[in-house]
Amino acid sequence: MRIYNRYLLLMVFTTCLVNVVLAFMGQKDITVYFIANFLITLLLTVLFISFSPRTRRVLSSISFVLFAGFVVVAVLKILEVIKQ
Amino acid sequence: MKNNPYRLLGLGLVIAGALFVPVAYFIISSIPLTAVDLSSIIIGFTSIALSSARSQVSPEASQMILETGMENIAALLEELGVSNKAVYLPSSMRTGSAQALIPLSGDIDVSRIKAKIPRRLIVRYGDDPNDMAIAVTAPGSTSFSKLEMKSVPTPPEIEQAISYVLTGLLDLASSVEVRMSEGQLSIEIIGPRLHYENVWYYRCMGSPIASIAASIASDAIAKPIRIKEESFNKGKSTILLEVLG
Repeated sequence: MRIYNRYLLLMVFTTCLVNVVLAFMGQKDITVYFIANFLITLLLTVLFISFSPRTRRVLSSISFVLFAGFVVVAVLKILEVIKQ
Repeated sequence: MKNNPYRLLGLGLVIAGALFVPVAYFIISSIPLTAVDLSSIIIGFTSIALSSARSQVSPEASQMILETGMENIAALLEELGVSNKAVYLPSSMRTGSAQALIPLSGDIDVSRIKAKIPRRLIVRYGDDPNDMAIAVTAPGSTSFSKLEMKSVPTPPEIEQAISYVLTGLLDLASSVEVRMSEGQLSIEIIGPRLHYENVWYYRCMGSPIASIAASIASDAIAKPIRIKEESFNKGKSTILLEVLG
């Protein structure tokens, strides 16, 4: 199996697994799901060390966008805590 | 590029995810379903990113170019009647990209190589008039020209370097295992996409995968290397490299 296919399949499998586990745990906060998915993407990109530099570069840009989303979520949560 | 399967898959996932996020969140009011759609968007964008990182030259075209190059060298070797095994040289013994020396007669005594081998087709590597060889560029050698390696690497580091080139850059194998014993390196290539064939070219140079592995290993341990044995069994290719000098 090609490395890109393996990466995508592993990503599909892990995100599905995490979403199902969180759903069974009764998680109702969408930000928790988002953070879990972001962490999976980040972890898999780091684990696939044999990707070419070009591939790593484009995948890093995806991780960067997701990280920006994570920062927004974190800021909103902090503001929520401060307001309380 | 337009028919790139990763791009099509990515676009499909992103569009489907973007359409179903509002439906799942506002109409069905299901957070787990919204999360699945979010995952679909993330995987979709990842797939689109992979499509842009993929080489624009199709694997078929690359294989055709590789085979043409091999046929040209095979024709040259057959014409000259050279059937000796090639010796892969480390960067300290050659000029430019990875080179393999195929002796015109007998075996190469690496202790006779005193200076760097020039970038020519027919070269003299020793003082004796019979120390003549054909110097060819090892297949795929341009891909690992910028590979950084420690001066005395361990087998896991050699394994990582070969794995990086064969799996990550060239996508020619699923994984690589390296074992080092006295004067020998045993490399197991799992899921190789190119196999050994008993043809003239492969008998001299080894299969393209073995050539790449030998070139990297030679550079890593800074010693000339010869492909001693190559076998393929149950989706696994075993390459035995002999360290010379």
